[in-house]
Amino acid sequence: MGSNVLLSFDRKPDLPKLIALAALITVFLVIPQFMRNTQLIMMSRIFILAVYGMSYDILRGYTGFINLGQAIFFGSGVYMGVIFLNMQNDLWFFMMAAASIFAASVVGGYIMSKIVLRTGGVVAAAMVTLALGEIVRNIAERWRTVTGGQDGLPLRFSRVALEPLFTTRLGAYYFAFIFLIVMTFVLRAFVLSPTGRVLQAIRENEQRARFLGYDTQKYKTIALIVSSVAAGLSGLVFAVIVRFANTDYLSITYTLNALLITLVGGTGTLYGSILGSAFVTWIQNFLLDLNRSLGWDILRYPMLFVGSLYILLVIFMPAGLLGGFFQLKNWWERKRLSRGTDSTR
Amino acid sequence: MGTIVTLVVNGLAQGALIFLMASGLSIILGMMGVINFAHGTLFLWGGYMYVWSYYAIRLRVVMAWFETAVPVTRFGNILTIQGVQLPPGETLPFLAELVIFIAALLVAVGFVFVMGLVFEKLFINRVYGRVPAQILITLGIQVVFTDIVRVIWGPNPFPIDRPPFLNGVSVVGTARIVHYNVFLILVGLVIAVIIHRILTKSRIGMVIRAGLQSPDHVRAIGINIKRYFTIVFAAGAALAGLGGALYMPLVGNVVSTAGMNNQILAFIVVVVGGLGSFMGSFLGSIFLGLMGVGIAMTVPGLSVVANVLIMALVLMFRPNGLFGLAVSRAD
Repeated sequence: MGSNVLLSFDRKPDLPKLIALAALITVFLVIPQFMRNTQLIMMSRIFILAVYGMSYDILRGYTGFINLGQAIFFGSGVYMGVIFLNMQNDLWFFMMAAASIFAASVVGGYIMSKIVLRTGGVVAAAMVTLALGEIVRNIAERWRTVTGGQDGLPLRFSRVALEPLFTTRLGAYYFAFIFLIVMTFVLRAFVLSPTGRVLQAIRENEQRARFLGYDTQKYKTIALIVSSVAAGLSGLVFAVIVRFANTDYLSITYTLNALLITLVGGTGTLYGSILGSAFVTWIQNFLLDLNRSLGWDILRYPMLFVGSLYILLVIFMPAGLLGGFFQLKNWWERKRLSRGTDSTR
Repeated sequence: MGTIVTLVVNGLAQGALIFLMASGLSIILGMMGVINFAHGTLFLWGGYMYVWSYYAIRLRVVMAWFETAVPVTRFGNILTIQGVQLPPGETLPFLAELVIFIAALLVAVGFVFVMGLVFEKLFINRVYGRVPAQILITLGIQVVFTDIVRVIWGPNPFPIDRPPFLNGVSVVGTARIVHYNVFLILVGLVIAVIIHRILTKSRIGMVIRAGLQSPDHVRAIGINIKRYFTIVFAAGAALAGLGGALYMPLVGNVVSTAGMNNQILAFIVVVVGGLGSFMGSFLGSIFLGLMGVGIAMTVPGLSVVANVLIMALVLMFRPNGLFGLAVSRAD
C-alpha cells in the first residue's frame, strides 16, 4: 500500500527524513507570524483535531475495533477545560483539568472496555459504544446546571490566555502546535513499543496472537485506555482554542469527525491523521465561509457534505486520500502501459 | 389495579413500536449478516413521509368536501405540512378518515421500501461480509439522510394530531385505555405473526434460510440469492418506515432526532434479545417496553440510563442475549 510505505515508521528515521521533519517544523514555527487571527484559529484546530484523529487511529487502525463513543472522551475534555478555566483562567487550573480528564478517561476507558470487549464482536461493540455515546450526550443535555444544556457553556474570560504561558492567539497557536508534537511522539512511542507491536499482531490475526500466549483482552484494554486519554486531552486543549463547550462535541458528529480524519489520512498510519485533520477542518471552514457569503439554506448543514464525502471515501478510497491517490496512479500507469502495448501490436 | 392495566397497555404499545424497528434490524442482521446503522434514518423518513402525506391528502380532501374549511398553521421548509380547520360541528365520515390514514401509511412504507432497495443496490451491495465497512458506510448514510430530512422539512419540531378515529380514551373500571395504544399492540402482533409465517412457511423464508447455511448450493440450483437479499433488506427498511409512521402520531411531536433515539432502542433490543434472533427481538421489545414504562413510573430520573444499563449488564454477563438466542453468524 503506497500510503503505508510513505508514512511508515517501522524503520529507524534516517538523516534526510530528520532534516525534512526539522524543516517542516521550522516552517510551522515561522508562518504564524504572518497569519490573521482566523487563520491562527484554524491552524490550531487542525493541530488538535490531528491528535484526536490519532487517538482514534490507535484504536481503529491498530486494533481494528470501531468505537462509536470516542466523542464521549473528547467532549468531556472540552467540558472539563471550560469548567475549570471558568474558575480561573491560568495554567494551574489547566493542569488540574488535565489531571481530572486524565483520571476520568482512564476510568471511563476501563469501564467501556469491560462492557465492550467481553463479547469480542465488532457489531456488538459498535452498537454499544454508539448507545453509550448517545446516553452521555443525553445526560449532558439534561444536566443544565453544569453543562448549560443545549445552549452550551462559554468560557467567561474574554481574553485568549493561559497565564503565564501565553496571552494571545499566536501563543495559543504555539501551544497547540507543541501539543501536537508532544502527543505525536508519545503515541508513536506507544505504537512502536512492544505493546504496540502486540496490538498490530491482534489486528492482523487475533486468534494467532492469542495462541502465542498474549492476553489479547488486556492489550485491547490498554489500547482503549490510551486512546481515551489522548482523546480527552485533545478535547481539553480544544477548549482553550474554541473557548466554548456544547453537546455537539459529545455527539456522534464528533465521532464521525474522528472517523473521517483517519479515513482521509488512511487508517493505521498515525501521521495520516495530521493530513486528515487539515483536510477535514479546511472543508468545514470553507463551507462556513461559503454559507456566510452565499447564505444558502443547505449550507447550514455541513454534515450533509462532510457525510457524503465520508460515504464516498468508504466506498472508493478505503485506504485514504493518499492511498487512493497511489491506487489511481497505479491504475493510470497500468492503463497507459496496456495502451502502449496495444498500439505496438 | 387500574393503574397497572394502564401501564401494561402503555408498555406493550411501546414494545410493539420498538418491535417494528428492532425486527427489521434483527432480520437483516440474522439473515444477511449486515448491521444497519442507517435504520434510524429509515424510521425517520417513514415518520416524516407519513406526516407529510397524511396532512397533504387530508387538506385536499377536506377542502373538496367543505367549502368553508380553512387551512391553518403550516410547518416545514421545502415541503410543508399544513393542518386544516373543519367548519364547526362538521366531521369527515369514518371511512374517508380511514382511507386517508391508510393511504398515508402506504405512501410512507412504500417510500421507505424504495429507499431500502436503493440503499442496498448502491451501498450495502458492496460491503457484504465486511462488517467494519458496513458500520462505517451505514453510519455515514444515517448522518447524511437525517440532515436531508432537516433540509426538506426544517430542523424545528412541530406538533401533529392523531387520526380522529384513533384519538379516543376509554375508561374501563379505573383503567384509562388509550385507543392508539391498543391499535399499536394489534399492529405489532399482526406484523409479528406475518413475519413469523414468512420466515418459517414461505418460499422466501426457505430460500433465505438455505442461503444462510450454504449460499453456493442455493446458487447452484438456479436461485438468484442476491435478489432475495435486496428484497429482505428493503422489507426490513419498510418495517422501520412503518414504525416511524406509527410513532409520530403516538408522541404527537415530530422531531428529527427521533431516528437516532429509536435506533438506539432497537440496538438495545437486539443486544438484549440476542444478536440476529427474531424471537429474541420480539421478547426483547416487550421486555424493554414494559420496563421503560415501569421505570418512568417509579424512578423517572433513571429512565435515560436504565436501558443502556440493562444492555451493558446483558453484554457483560449474558453475551448471547437475555434469552440466549443469538445467531452465531452475526458476529
